Amino acid sequence: MASDYEFSDSDGDYDDDEDMIDGTQDETGESEDDMDMDAFGDDFKVVPKGKRKSFEIEYESLSQSDVEKLMKKDVEDIVGILGVDESTANLLLRHMSWNTERLIEKYMDNPTKVLVAAGVTVEEPPSSPAPIRSHSIPNSATIGTSQSGRRPTRSSSKLLGSKSPSALKSSSTVSPTSTTRLSPRATDLPTPFVCPICFDDAPTLRPLSLTCSHPFCSGCWTAYISSKITDEAEHAIRCMAEGCALVATDTFIHDLLTASDVDPEEAKVNEETWARFQELLIRHFVASNPNLKYCPYPACTNTVSCPAAASKASLTSVVPIVSCGARGIPGAAQASGSGGNLGLPGKEHKFCFGCPIESDHRPVVCAAARLWLKKCRDDSETANWIKSNTKECSMCMSTIEKNGGCNHMTCKKCKHEFCWVCMGPWSEHGTAWYSCNRYDEKAGVEARDAQSRSRASLERYLHYYNRWANHEQSAKLSLDLYAKTEKKMEDMQITSELTWIEVQFMKKAVEEVDKCRMTLKWTYAMAYYLAKGNEKDLFEDNQRDLEKAVEDLSELLESPIEAENIPMLRQKVTDKTVYVQKRNEIVLEDTAAGFLEGRWKWNVAIDGFDDPEKTEF
Amino acid sequence: MDARLRRVNKEIADCKNDKTSNIQIELIDENPFHLKGSFPGPEGTPYQGGHFEVDIVIPESYPFQPVKMKFLTKVYHPNVSSASGAICLDILKDAWSPVLTLKSTLISLQSLLCSPEPNDPQDAEVAKHYTTSKNSFDETATYWTQIYAGGPGAKEKKGKSAASKAEARDEVAIAGLEKAHVDQFEALGFPRSKVIDVLRRLNYRGANVAKLTDDRVVEELLK
Repeated sequence: MASDYEFSDSDGDYDDDEDMIDGTQDETGESEDDMDMDAFGDDFKVVPKGKRKSFEIEYESLSQSDVEKLMKKDVEDIVGILGVDESTANLLLRHMSWNTERLIEKYMDNPTKVLVAAGVTVEEPPSSPAPIRSHSIPNSATIGTSQSGRRPTRSSSKLLGSKSPSALKSSSTVSPTSTTRLSPRATDLPTPFVCPICFDDAPTLRPLSLTCSHPFCSGCWTAYISSKITDEAEHAIRCMAEGCALVATDTFIHDLLTASDVDPEEAKVNEETWARFQELLIRHFVASNPNLKYCPYPACTNTVSCPAAASKASLTSVVPIVSCGARGIPGAAQASGSGGNLGLPGKEHKFCFGCPIESDHRPVVCAAARLWLKKCRDDSETANWIKSNTKECSMCMSTIEKNGGCNHMTCKKCKHEFCWVCMGPWSEHGTAWYSCNRYDEKAGVEARDAQSRSRASLERYLHYYNRWANHEQSAKLSLDLYAKTEKKMEDMQITSELTWIEVQFMKKAVEEVDKCRMTLKWTYAMAYYLAKGNEKDLFEDNQRDLEKAVEDLSELLESPIEAENIPMLRQKVTDKTVYVQKRNEIVLEDTAAGFLEGRWKWNVAIDGFDDPEKTEF
Repeated sequence: MDARLRRVNKEIADCKNDKTSNIQIELIDENPFHLKGSFPGPEGTPYQGGHFEVDIVIPESYPFQPVKMKFLTKVYHPNVSSASGAICLDILKDAWSPVLTLKSTLISLQSLLCSPEPNDPQDAEVAKHYTTSKNSFDETATYWTQIYAGGPGAKEKKGKSAASKAEARDEVAIAGLEKAHVDQFEALGFPRSKVIDVLRRLNYRGANVAKLTDDRVVEELLK
């Protein structure tokens, strides 16, 4: 499936392929969870997607090796078209951020320039001796000439081995030689080799160089490459000589990092560095391709391909929530998973393809979700509260909160006496205490209006925020709920005749509640920004139905277990789970359809949408 | 022996043996990875005759990561922070190569003093001064060399004039300003230190003096 994958949209193969998969897997949708569970523990095997719902986006999760296959395909294309060898093609593609078309265009235009820029060849013609630095060792010149003397032979043999006459022609201007080569063995050198970096001159030293013939000992090369990979996360590692722009090839790096002449501990570190290097290459490839996104979960190495959400414009009509196919945190999850008899897997790696939110924010589109999160973080709501709940003393401007008592206020600070209702001096009120006779004055009305508007806005925000926070809190407690449910399931197996498989309904219910709470949470963010109208009423009706169903199911899950009513409870929970699932789908489907139809109107300006006609709440 | 230590020892020894380059590297204390380098100011520049000291910290992954260097001596130069001594030089960052040594890096610093890069400044105020009025910049840099790097002329001056008077002259010259300009605004009743500060910030030098109106300066002074 992954190997058939094509990037270009024009290619019809992919779509056909997907349809076929959809058709054949219609029946397997129900067992999707179980399949996920099977996949868990099997080193993050890619799980084929079941039937796709209208609110779900078409995507594919790729493992590290799948992405490698994609990279390999690009490299093979370039090898075929430009007639260069594989490591050169790799360096060229990385230099051009995997933009095949631009690479071919530039290469056809001026191959030398591209090869030099990519660090495949050095700028000077290969016959000139390597630059000699003032402090370089005396024999470096001899090494340089002896090596450059060899090069033409290598180049010509490379040319003869080229694939096609056209390739031969294109590569005849510059012969792309393999940059990987171990320099002559130490015995070939006339004088003992002294590494110009560590100044070691032991006869056992292994001098190595890229095609630029700047020799350094293998120990320095390894230390340098490890430092570049682990400290700087750099994948284009240049020659160590000053000003030399030649990039080390993968084979060169691989040979060094898998050298066997080091102690086992170092070999292990080198192995990790090599793995890290490969990950860096994959990350670079994924980052260069708008159709791909790397899983943001810690230590996860999967990638998701989602061409449907690659453009920014598409984010106003879809919420591209994807899952990389892995679950939990590698290692940690495995340990806990095998511990309990329930075998609860870690949480799915769900994230949004279109924005940096690392959770399922359906049904809200990315722009609105971000706006909401920002609002929740902002301190501006504190100011809003102060505005709604306090007034300023008309004399000394201290902020005063009225927390009870009559309208006759005395400022603690300046002892100014005033009326809380009209803010005028108390002395003018005469004996009409507890009721302000200047109530209808224009200024007073305006001040009250401003305050009540501000208060209404705050109350409105708090209404949505409290419900949002409530669901978020519940979602956080879901881990506890999982543990409690696990215990209950054990009890149930003991007190009743039910088998392990028969008590799984509890787990399924808990998972469903968790999922729905996530949806509910975000429906409040959505409702906050929805403009008043029939559409919003319908949305809130759906929201209410789902919330009611979820709360009912939660209550059932919390209810005590008595042996005699287990069958009844099981029936109830199973029914309710199905109902909740249905309601959740209704909310998600309806919202997704609304986005596609452009039905939702916002009360604030949201990125990518038309500005609201009026900002009235 | 640790490869890093071996290399640093070799580099220090090399520097001692090399009599022609005039570059010195010495230990500050027992720690071989915290050193002090010094070199004379290059001939034919405002830094001529000065003795410049550089703080050198050798990181764990040296020589595969660049050394950390900063000027201990105050230097008036567009690529050196006039406050902290931090240096803006490519080989101390991404252009570093493991074949570079402490000596070659110090030589690079020396040549940086010869050829400032005002388009990639570390100290924007100094760079502005450099681009608007090269002559005035050179004067200030020479003065800094005299008072901070022990350049020629420093000793005579110290002996000659009264200490307090020398200090007043110092401040204006250090900021690279004209005494007449400072006096002019001080006469309006602003504190001298504030006048110097504002004029330096506005780059009140050379051709810029004509561009900046007195009102603009006073406005800044009143802020």
